[in-house]
Amino acid sequence: MPDGKPKFSGVWAGPAFIHNVGPNDSDSPRVTNFDRAKMAPFLPGAEGKFYQRPTGDLRHDDPTELCLPDGHPREALAPYAQQIVQTPDEIVILYEYMHFFRVIPIGKPHPADIEPTFMGNAVAAWEGDALVIDTIGLREWTLSASNGWHSDALHTIERLKHIDAATVSYEITIDDPKIFTRPWSQTFEMKLHPTWSLLEQVCEENNRCQGGNCAPAESQKGK
Amino acid sequence: MILPAKFRWIFLPVLLAPIAAFAHHAYTAEFDTTKPVKLSGVLTRVEWSNPHIWIYLDVKDEKGNITNWGFSASPPGMLQRRGITKTALKLGEVLTITGHRAKDGSNNASGNVVTFADGRDALIGQDQALNPAEARSNAGKKQ
Repeated sequence: MPDGKPKFSGVWAGPAFIHNVGPNDSDSPRVTNFDRAKMAPFLPGAEGKFYQRPTGDLRHDDPTELCLPDGHPREALAPYAQQIVQTPDEIVILYEYMHFFRVIPIGKPHPADIEPTFMGNAVAAWEGDALVIDTIGLREWTLSASNGWHSDALHTIERLKHIDAATVSYEITIDDPKIFTRPWSQTFEMKLHPTWSLLEQVCEENNRCQGGNCAPAESQKGK
Repeated sequence: MILPAKFRWIFLPVLLAPIAAFAHHAYTAEFDTTKPVKLSGVLTRVEWSNPHIWIYLDVKDEKGNITNWGFSASPPGMLQRRGITKTALKLGEVLTITGHRAKDGSNNASGNVVTFADGRDALIGQDQALNPAEARSNAGKKQ
């Protein structure tokens, strides 16, 4: 980069890929969750807040079935491409899944008053060659596809650092003082795919079996 | 369990497992993992759309009656990243698809592995397998 910083711009297969890079720049997407063995112990009484019982309401039990968002950090662990756009002043991460994005200023503090959202408020800083993204202001939501629920006190620290020109180490620290006794981290890898571009992904387009009730397709009517 | 003799079902032994999560939703929200299916038929339609592609086969039963079955597979993006494009599915071709039947009992199912007429197979499914053999191994035990 002109500012002398490592370059992260490009379209990446994120943590939810196995990175078996094959012919024609292919890769291996696989829904990825946090490893229970890497998590810190629960606070007393917090395990029930994390592993919430089903209520019968899909908005709670399986919100993405209704095309509600993944939110951060689950979005980063979705098995879809993500594009990083880097300038000296900010990092923009564009997620293919559900078209979510994060516009992350570099070198600025979090605002004083943050309304909790699905993606939260993120700021970035350089620590040597590592890009460090600090995120707060997250609403209570699912932590990953199979893991439980984080609280509204979740704070994440993502640390991106090049292993080689096309591979980045992605370490994420989960700091949820309402759920866990201490912060804990897990490290994944991201792989640059020079031929990829982001695809359109409209979840509502053909969600034909929403809630387990399949609307008949035209070809199935009258047969 | 009374098997629907109308179709050439293959039921596999299954174990109950916790809900596993997939790209878009919990698989078990839509599909009954106690009802693995393997159906062959003529490809009539492909909906290459989100959140999952749909593949339709005209499946003929032993009496010659034809039913149009729908199979929900991976999202277009995941398939494309694996190197599978819409052109791999040719209308009129005979395909065999394995998956699990829709929970509502309709003529819909998940589509996890497709086998082409020449014997080639491909992982197209929503389960977390990385290849067709792994998907078959998963059927009925890991969903």
